[in-house]
Amino acid sequence: MRLRLPHAALRWGLAILVLHALMAGFGPLVAPYGQAQMMAGMPIEGASLAHPFGTDQMGRDVFSRALAGGWIVISLSVAGTLAGVVLGAAVGLFAGTVGGWADEVLMRLSEAFLAIPFLIFALLIVSLAGPGLQGSPGLLVGVVAAVYLPRVARMSRAAALEVVARDHVLAARLRGEGAWTIARREVLPNAIGVLLVEFAVRAGYAPILVGTLGFLGFGLKPPTPEWGLMMAEYRNLLTTQPWAVFGPGLMLATLVIGLNLFTEGLSAMASRAGPGRGP
Amino acid sequence: MRILRLILARLVASAFTLVLVSVVVVVGVQGLPGDAAARILGREAPAAARARLREELNLDGPLVGRYLHWAGGAVRGDFGTSFASRLPVAGFLGPRLLHTLALSALALLFYVPLSILPALVQARRPDGPLDRAITVVTVLILSAPEFLSATLLLFAFAVIWPLFPPMVQLTAGMGWGAYLHMLLLPAATLGLLLATYGVRLLRESLIDIHRADFVRMAEFKGLSDRRVLWRHVLPNALIPWMNATALNIAFMIGGVVVVEKVFAFPGFGSALVDALQLRDLPVITAGVMVAAAIFILVNLLADIGALLASPRLRTLG
Repeated sequence: MRLRLPHAALRWGLAILVLHALMAGFGPLVAPYGQAQMMAGMPIEGASLAHPFGTDQMGRDVFSRALAGGWIVISLSVAGTLAGVVLGAAVGLFAGTVGGWADEVLMRLSEAFLAIPFLIFALLIVSLAGPGLQGSPGLLVGVVAAVYLPRVARMSRAAALEVVARDHVLAARLRGEGAWTIARREVLPNAIGVLLVEFAVRAGYAPILVGTLGFLGFGLKPPTPEWGLMMAEYRNLLTTQPWAVFGPGLMLATLVIGLNLFTEGLSAMASRAGPGRGP
Repeated sequence: MRILRLILARLVASAFTLVLVSVVVVVGVQGLPGDAAARILGREAPAAARARLREELNLDGPLVGRYLHWAGGAVRGDFGTSFASRLPVAGFLGPRLLHTLALSALALLFYVPLSILPALVQARRPDGPLDRAITVVTVLILSAPEFLSATLLLFAFAVIWPLFPPMVQLTAGMGWGAYLHMLLLPAATLGLLLATYGVRLLRESLIDIHRADFVRMAEFKGLSDRRVLWRHVLPNALIPWMNATALNIAFMIGGVVVVEKVFAFPGFGSALVDALQLRDLPVITAGVMVAAAIFILVNLLADIGALLASPRLRTLG
């Protein structure tokens, strides 16, 4: 879909993102209760002015917890996406520049990784990492990066192939420069626009990936107030106190909508396909 | 004959990818640095127990031999014995996979009308109020995490308006009607989640094709709107839609994990998640391979379908 006014999408997206950034940055400071404070209210209270998302089984204020989760979700998503785009771009630009058998091997390998459905791939990494690493933020960043790496590699290889046909690359080759140097000095500056949009598109899905892993029990560990994990924790409150489930869900959904609108506007200007489903 | 050669080339490439995936997965599962037995049992487990597990899981010896051992079993349908349930992996995963296939088939029945009808409505009056309303709804569904949408539907149709059970329970002797009743809500959820992407894509191509010269020509000839739509616009718009559907089915393999978790559906996805949680290596290896094989097969079929459907691709060398 292309909103007819890309700037409107960009503006709305930006507004939502700024709001989320403010909530993530200052929310915990102005939150009505401490995120781990028990008996902030009676256990399992419904939504009210005092507790916008109600309280949980231990009487913790769900809204204060959700506010505290913002910066966790955002920083994990940004770090994972950044790592995935940087590593993927390095692999893709190198493959596209060097060509030949190295390119062939890297692309076949990326095809094999892409044939494993991404969520299953992510769960597999967490499982194989073992109990020692499970639940650590570093592993989660690595998982997001690993899911994005082969995807970004293919995109940036395609971008590199367009650039390597140009004269200045030929000149660099004739000067006898190595593939890695050419990729960095000649190809990267010309592919940077593609990579930035790539980063924006991928960043839009990263919070969902982080949340899904949390929801399935493969992400951060309780009592971290990560939104997907909170939704799983409060699942059995669905009939009595649904706000505990849908409050954190609302935070996650609005963050993703903001990211997607922003990217929609950005990609409409850069005339690349906007965000679809999946990473 | 050119088309046969093209199809054959795709077949060979797909088979190669599948083998490569199996190498990546088996090596990843078995060959990671560190003691896999210790990862399963924990570091405190006695050395004898770890050694027994290593032996049972075929964790000793060179990697190449272990891969060949696994592949030799796999081609005969023997994926080893589940470490948690002590059942043969194939016998354990098979029935779960059948439930999931039933769920997916039912989801496709929801998917087709849910993705075609809104797009037809939208393309009738692009940028009209209905078009915009449907666009907003699809963008909202696309942006929401699957586990949130699925939980919302569960909340609406199993809690607020309890038409369906909140948890799927499948028993051996249950009748077809009861089985269908259990599957309906998760299947509708899965179909709806997948349909949104199809709607967006189909709307675009319907509008594009409506502007194409050959459609204009048909209109100038005086054909009725309906005839133009059914004979000229829809068949052409459905080719990219079919491709998107293939991608969607591939996506469904991952999405099914989330939907099965939300509805506590005892299918392939939840079996795989359980195995991953328990580090049940034989089940993990087989499950990931099944998922990858389905993904590759669906993409292969989509490619072949596109080859057969497109006259341009058919004659292109």
